[in-house]
Amino acid sequence: MQKMRDAEIKAIIRAEDAWEPVGPTPMPTLTELRNWDFRLLNTYEPFYAPFCDLCCLCTYGKCDLTGNKKGACGIDIASQQARWILICSLMGTAAHGAHGRHMIDHLIEKLGEDKKIDLGSQVNVEAPIIRTVMGLKPKTLGDLRKAIEYVEREMIHLVSATHMGQEGDYRDFESKAFHAGMLDHVALEAADIAQIVGYGLPTSVADTPLVDLGWGAIDRTKPTIVVVGHNAVTANAIIDYLRSNDLYDQVEVGGLCCTAHDVTRYAGGAKVIGPLSRQRFFLKAGLADVVVTDEQCVVTDIPQLAKAAGAAMIACSDKICYGLENASARETGEILRAVLEEQKQFLILDPEKAAEVIVRAALELAPKRRAQKQLVTKEEGAMLAAKCRGTCEECNRVCPNLLPVSLGVSQARHGNFAKLGELFMRCHGCAKCEEACVNHIPILRLMQAAATWETYKMRSGRGPIHDVEIRKVGSPIVLGTIPGVVLFAGCSNFPGDIDDLAWLAEELARRKFIVTLSGCAAMAAAMSKDAEGKTIYEKYIPEFDAGCIVNVGSCVSNAHVVGAAIKIANIFAGLPNRANFELMSDYILNRVGACGVVWGPYSQKALAIGTGAVRWGIPIVLGPHGSKYRRLFMSKKEAGDWTVVDGRTRQLVDTAEPTPEHMMLVTETKERALVTIIKQCFRRNDTPPGRAIKLNSYISAYKQVIGGLPDDLQNFIRTEKEIPIVYKREVLAYLKEAGWQPKPVLSLPTIIGTYETKVPIEATIK
Amino acid sequence: MESETMVMPYYKVNVLTGTKAAKVIADPAEGAAIIDRAKNPLYIFGPEVIATPVGDKLLIDYALKIAKARDIPICATAHVKKKMLEQGVVPDSTYDIIEIIHFLKDKEWSGVRGKGYHDLVLFTGVRCDLAERGLATLKHFAPHLKTYAICRRSHPNADFALPVIVKEEKWRDYLAGLIGALGAFKS
Ligand code: SF4
Ligand code: SF4
Ligand code: SF4
Repeated sequence: MQKMRDAEIKAIIRAEDAWEPVGPTPMPTLTELRNWDFRLLNTYEPFYAPFCDLCCLCTYGKCDLTGNKKGACGIDIASQQARWILICSLMGTAAHGAHGRHMIDHLIEKLGEDKKIDLGSQVNVEAPIIRTVMGLKPKTLGDLRKAIEYVEREMIHLVSATHMGQEGDYRDFESKAFHAGMLDHVALEAADIAQIVGYGLPTSVADTPLVDLGWGAIDRTKPTIVVVGHNAVTANAIIDYLRSNDLYDQVEVGGLCCTAHDVTRYAGGAKVIGPLSRQRFFLKAGLADVVVTDEQCVVTDIPQLAKAAGAAMIACSDKICYGLENASARETGEILRAVLEEQKQFLILDPEKAAEVIVRAALELAPKRRAQKQLVTKEEGAMLAAKCRGTCEECNRVCPNLLPVSLGVSQARHGNFAKLGELFMRCHGCAKCEEACVNHIPILRLMQAAATWETYKMRSGRGPIHDVEIRKVGSPIVLGTIPGVVLFAGCSNFPGDIDDLAWLAEELARRKFIVTLSGCAAMAAAMSKDAEGKTIYEKYIPEFDAGCIVNVGSCVSNAHVVGAAIKIANIFAGLPNRANFELMSDYILNRVGACGVVWGPYSQKALAIGTGAVRWGIPIVLGPHGSKYRRLFMSKKEAGDWTVVDGRTRQLVDTAEPTPEHMMLVTETKERALVTIIKQCFRRNDTPPGRAIKLNSYISAYKQVIGGLPDDLQNFIRTEKEIPIVYKREVLAYLKEAGWQPKPVLSLPTIIGTYETKVPIEATIK
Repeated sequence: MESETMVMPYYKVNVLTGTKAAKVIADPAEGAAIIDRAKNPLYIFGPEVIATPVGDKLLIDYALKIAKARDIPICATAHVKKKMLEQGVVPDSTYDIIEIIHFLKDKEWSGVRGKGYHDLVLFTGVRCDLAERGLATLKHFAPHLKTYAICRRSHPNADFALPVIVKEEKWRDYLAGLIGALGAFKS
């Protein structure tokens, strides 16, 4: 069977294509990277925080897993957590994979499978993830479909392993979760390349247009269509319909979540209303004439919200049908009549047909809905809040962000909206408080009177990082003189104010980090202005270079930041990436100071992305809600074993240096997140001048937000030359007290050679 | 009277789904006795201690008194250290909450003062949902220690928790009662 599989793989990846020799792991299956995974897990142990004492997965259960108890099937609490992590990672991978599948099939239908992949003059290594994982250099949309087929093939085995009585060891569950995460990245890359090629989204340009962001950006005098979700196929069809009917300037198209990113990459006139946390708030405000849903992270009660606001609603994805009648085969005029006259909601899976219905419905409805677009005034707000005495606190008790809702509402009753305004900045829009309120106060509507209605500028997503940018920054990143590459990704389940994201990004950009953003995090980062009214997108450079603020785009665009790390190994260092997962990941782990941050995690997709990043050697920092993913990866710090191979001498060397310190951890506050992110960018390969620059950032940030010197400096200073000059005296005194000893500095650190692998140590040296 | 077990805390996101719930320590004297009996306790301060008033003081003022009364080492998580330094107190440790919990799981760990593992860990001021997750970790993976969440919102995954205390005066009374009763058992 292996022989048959080898022949099949060779054909799929066109092994005879001579761009690079085929490496040791083309299209790896479940167990082929297991040794690599276990090597990571030896240093970075899984940390579990069970949500539940029980397992209730099969009908033997419920099984109590407290103490040393095992389930009826024999599973223990750690393995049960790990199984759950695998299940959730698979959900995330499936969401991106199915998105990619839909996008690619749709574009192949329109443009043919031979449609060439061309990412412009600045991007030659078009698909670093697919090249590395599969060994395929995709040339056409048809090749991208092969990538999705590979993901699908692996997923069936992974899902199977979650069945009761299958996998039984937490480390193997984690290895499989890594596999799911890596497949997720393949899917992300395939999906984004497909839409860039198929829709002509920006590529090979850094300075993409600034677009309007904010619920206040919507022109209420115009018919308004709001697209919600992550798959812009229908949203783009709406833009096409508007353009071809000369309506583009007359209709507002606003997006919530990643569809907003992708539609603004397609049409600069479209607007970004905000992240997921604003879906309910905005829809309750009634500003949308037509609400359009596609897929992923769409609040499930949208049909009811739309109905309550008197808006039309069309669902456009087979993933979210809401029990609606499928009108895909019905005639446009007939659907439109039912929408307008009977307020019927439909599922329409034909994007062009859906687009026509949606636009025509918006044009008809808008003039009739003017009264419904009036926002709640402060006077009306005070009346709505009139019954609240602020004492029963039922609202506070159900708030998943632990907010003092009762205080905001009871003060609003007296016409004071300041507290409620503050609360709004931290609110996720879940409406649990409304549901619990004993007086049925419509708290989310009340927030209309308290919320800011400002418009912000966000740079639209730019897609891939350019090869020439990689050539320029490769050396300073690897030497450590650019202190790190940080990606803010994921959702809007923020623990504190929504604009904390902008604060974190700016603190890093002004310390000359390369700061990249995507998804809801990229939107939130726009929601803060300086004294001159500028957002960070207007203040910092858009090129991938020290001190930049780069929006790569939607969730699927996350692939480009992982891709940039691979390109550093491949383009800058000249190591072959074809079917060479371990070689690339080892390089990233030891030499590329990259860190992913998900400050507001909630989705299974973000979990899959983060888990995949860890397999690539990229550490992840999560906000507090990330603890509810219930698994992290942490080292024993200085007490761990930090032995690596010196690639030059091929000897094992105990570096006594815990870098990167952890692979996935939660920090509680933005202050702690800042210093942790900086520290997670330390790498064993840093040169002494590079380490000095990184330590300078670490110490300055630590003094600013935590106070005094960090108490782990002895772990990261290897030679006296690395002590930043400004802090020299103070740090030397500290080191003496801490009993510091110098540590070896390696110029070619690698963990290849510390575990069993097909990759020879020589491969790590160019 | 047998103490009750805690199921429904103040925050519903922290509701217990399971079989092993905290013992509710309604009487601060009982809480003080638990602390007194500990051989090598640790006190974890979360960021709420520097942000939450209790009467005309800050929560940290009470927490520091509890720590001082029994010379309990303090782990200042998040950015608590800054405020402590301003008050002239240097924390024994500054791990963030998840890091300290990670170390506490390990019975072989040397502890923040090098005296071996901590047999009792007190928590005050950690963000309630995060604290609850950390307490669940210790409940399942650190059988060598007990946890006592000194938090008015209550924590079912701790070994010992307070009842839900809604009124601020009652919360202040509990803290003052605890401070007042500390040392009784040992002396
Ligand atoms: S899968 Fe195992 S632990 Fe879970 S309910 Fe079934 S028998 Fe019990
Ligand atoms: S809508 Fe906002 S304030 Fe209300 S419970 Fe949800 S997060 Fe809390
Ligand atoms: S539940 Fe309603 S009435 Fe009670 S405090 Fe909250 S907002 Fe006020």
